Amino acid sequence: MSTFMPYAYFQCPCTDSFPQSRNLGDESPVSVSSSFDQDDRTFDPRAPRANYSLYPLEHLLYCEDCHQIRCPRCVLDEIVTWYCPNCLFEVPSSTVKSEGNRCTRSCFQCPICIAPLSVSSVEPHPEGLGAENLTVGGPYVLNCAHCYWSSKEIGIQFDKPNGIFAQLAKIKNGGEPIITARERRKDREERNRDTSAGPAVDEDGVQEERAANLDPNEILDAESQFSNLKAFYQSQLAEASPTSALTFSGGDYGYGSPGALSRIMGLYTGGSFADKKSKSKKGMMREAQDALEGLQIVSPTSEDEIINRLQTEGWDSTASTVQKDEQSTYTRFINDLRPIAHLLRTKRAKRCKTCRHILSKPEPKVQTTRFRIRLVALNCIPSISINPLSPLLPGQKSAFLVTPLKPTQFLLTFTNPLFEIVKVNIATPAQTPGRFANKVTVLCPQFEIGANTDAWEEALREGSKGIEREKRRTKAEATEGQHQAEAGKVWERGRNWVSVVVEVVPASLSFEGPDFMKSEEMLRDGGALREDEDVLEIPVFVRVDWEADAAHDESGGLSGGGRGESEVREKRELAYWCVLGVGRIAQD
Amino acid sequence: MSKKAPKGEYIETDTGNKVSRRSQIIGTANIILGGKTVIQAEVIIRGDLLRTYPSSSGDGGKGGHPVAVAIGRYCFFARACDLRPPGKMYKGTFSHYPLKIADHVFIGPSSIIEAALVGSHVNIGANCIIGKFVIIKDFVRVLNGTVVPPNMVIPSFSVVAGIPGRVVGEVSEGEVDGFDLRDIYRSIGN
Repeated sequence: MSTFMPYAYFQCPCTDSFPQSRNLGDESPVSVSSSFDQDDRTFDPRAPRANYSLYPLEHLLYCEDCHQIRCPRCVLDEIVTWYCPNCLFEVPSSTVKSEGNRCTRSCFQCPICIAPLSVSSVEPHPEGLGAENLTVGGPYVLNCAHCYWSSKEIGIQFDKPNGIFAQLAKIKNGGEPIITARERRKDREERNRDTSAGPAVDEDGVQEERAANLDPNEILDAESQFSNLKAFYQSQLAEASPTSALTFSGGDYGYGSPGALSRIMGLYTGGSFADKKSKSKKGMMREAQDALEGLQIVSPTSEDEIINRLQTEGWDSTASTVQKDEQSTYTRFINDLRPIAHLLRTKRAKRCKTCRHILSKPEPKVQTTRFRIRLVALNCIPSISINPLSPLLPGQKSAFLVTPLKPTQFLLTFTNPLFEIVKVNIATPAQTPGRFANKVTVLCPQFEIGANTDAWEEALREGSKGIEREKRRTKAEATEGQHQAEAGKVWERGRNWVSVVVEVVPASLSFEGPDFMKSEEMLRDGGALREDEDVLEIPVFVRVDWEADAAHDESGGLSGGGRGESEVREKRELAYWCVLGVGRIAQD
Repeated sequence: MSKKAPKGEYIETDTGNKVSRRSQIIGTANIILGGKTVIQAEVIIRGDLLRTYPSSSGDGGKGGHPVAVAIGRYCFFARACDLRPPGKMYKGTFSHYPLKIADHVFIGPSSIIEAALVGSHVNIGANCIIGKFVIIKDFVRVLNGTVVPPNMVIPSFSVVAGIPGRVVGEVSEGEVDGFDLRDIYRSIGN
C-alpha cells in the first residue's frame, strides 16, 4: 500500500499463437477460456497466463523483418562470450566445455552468505617497513567480508594466494588431501600392472608397497565414487571384449561397437542373445568389489554418526536449503559446506525465433558495453506514460490512490520514437475484466503523433527552450486550474508526443451491498480480496499505423527484394495489447 | 524526492554543478567534480579521507592536489547520501583509497557509498550500502535497500538486490537508454 508507481506493460503477440490448452482451475477466470476463440476478445491482465506475456517496453525487442514485437520468450539466445563476473576474465568456450561453468581462478563465494571471498594471510603482518617485510607469507585463507566466515572454520588453508580453485580441489574440509581423479587412475593402473605381473603377490605385500596409496575400504565422496565406478566398468568392458578394446582403447566411448553392443544385450538377455560361437566371452562381467572400484557398502550404522551430530550440535550446525542449493553435492552440515566458485556469466546475442534475424548483438569483449546491433521496441513503438490529471489534493496521500466510485482522470502520454507521423487508435473495454469491474472511458481514442525529428533539432531545442516550454505548460495548468477534458480532443500535444485523458470510475472493493450490484464472478466466489486485486489495471488495445519509407527501413535487411524500390511509402501497422496500472483503489 | 526547493537551494558552479547549500562537503580540495552534477541537501562527501599509503603509480606526485573523490559528469546524489573513500589495512598501515565515480551515476537517498569504482550509467537506489572496495561496472542497477558486500565486483548489465547483494537479473537492451541523467539534471531548478 505504501507506494504505487504507475506502469504500462506491453503484451507480446507471441502468446497469441499458443492455444490455451488447459484450464487453470478456479483461479482461471471463465471469461478467458470461453471467449478465447472470438476475435474481439478482451485481454485480461489478471488471467494467470497474462503474467508471462506482459513486459515493460524496455524489455521488448523489435524485429524489423517480421515487423513485430519480440519478447524474451520469442527470441533465441546465442552465447557470444563466457566470463567470470568476479575477475571479469573471458573464458574460452573450449575451457567451459572441459572445466565446467565455474571460474577456475580464485573467485569464490561464501558458502554461508554468498558474498565474495577474498584471500588473506593468516600470519600477522611483520612489523617494520623494510623491503623484506613487504611480502606476507602464507598460509592463506578465504575470508568473507560480509559475514566474517573464514575457510579456517572448515579447516582449509592454502599455501599460495593464487590459483585457489586448483588448490581447493585437492583439499577436503578439515585439511585432508583429496585424491584427485588422476591420482586414482594412476593407482588403478599400478594395481592392474601388479596383478597382471604377479597374481601370486601377497595382498599385504602389495599394500605395504603402496602405503601412501588407497585404502580399499575408504569412504568416497560422490564424485570419486562415480569416477571409480566408471573406470571400473570401462575396464570390464575392455576385458570382456578384447577385440573392440583394441579399436577403442583410446576413447571413452567404446560402447558403440557391435561387439560391445551384443555383449550388453547378452548381459540383459541372460546370454541367449550372445553369439554362441564366441565361447571365449562367456565370462560374465563382474561387479565392483571395493572402494577402488567404486563400491560403497552401506552399513546399518553408517548414519549413526550423522544422527549423533544432529542430536548434539542441533539445528544451528545444519545448512539451510539455500546454502545446500549452492553446493555441488548434498551437504547436511555447515562444516561440510565448501566455498562456491563463481558461476560464469555470458554475453548473449538475440535472434528472432521466426526469421532468425539478429535483434541484439553485444560487443564480444567483456569490458565493452556497446552493442553492434540493438533493435529495441523502445525505438519502434510509442511509449506510454501515466500521470494523474488533477494536482494532488491536500490530505491525499498519493495521486495513485484512487477513491472507489469517484471518477478519476488520468493523463496518458504517448511518445513517438519514429521519424514518421503515426496514427494511434486506442480502445479499452468499458468495464475492466475481473471481479471488480472498473468503468473506463478514453476521451480521445484516435489521434496522430508528430514525428520524432532528428537529433540535431533536439540538440538545438535542448537547454533553455526546453525547460521554458515545460514551465509554461505547468504554469498553464496551474493558472487555468482544471480546464475540462473534452471528448474527442487530445489534452495536449508536443513535437512527438500526445496526451489524452482517460476517465476511470473505480469499483468499490467491498463485498457488501445488494446482489444486483455485483458482477457474476463476485457472486460465485465472494470471499476476501486476492493479492493485488486492488490495483486498478486497464487493458488497452493499441493500434498504430504509419507510412514508412520502405527504402529507409530495408537498408539493413536484404530480404526486402521486391518491395525495395525507393520513394515507395509503405504502410505499416502494428497492434498490441497493453496493460496500464494506474493506481490502487482505496479500501474503506 | 523532487522536493520543490526554495530559491537559492543550489549553488551552481562554472562547470554546471548544482550543489545544495545544505550539503556537507568536506575536503573540497581533494574532490573533483566533472560538471553538471547535482548534489542535494544533506549529502556528505568525505574528501578529507585521503590516501596516506604512498601510491605505486606516480599519480599522486604530479603536483596539484591528491584526489580522494573523483566524480564524472551528470551524476545525481540524492538527499542524505554519503560518499566515503574506502579504507583498509595494507601492509601494516591503514589507508584510504580514492573513490571514483564515472558519468551518469544516480545515487538514491540515504545510501552509503564506499566503493572503489562506480562505472558509468549506474543507478543505485535508496537506502543502499555499497561496501568497501566494491567495483561496479557500467549499466548496473542496484535496487532499494541492497547491501553490497565489500570487495564485490558487479559486472555490466546486472541488477543487484538483497542482503548481501547478489545479481538478481539483467539489464535488458532497451533499458540502456534509461540511465541517461541529462534530463534529470535539466529538471533541477535553482
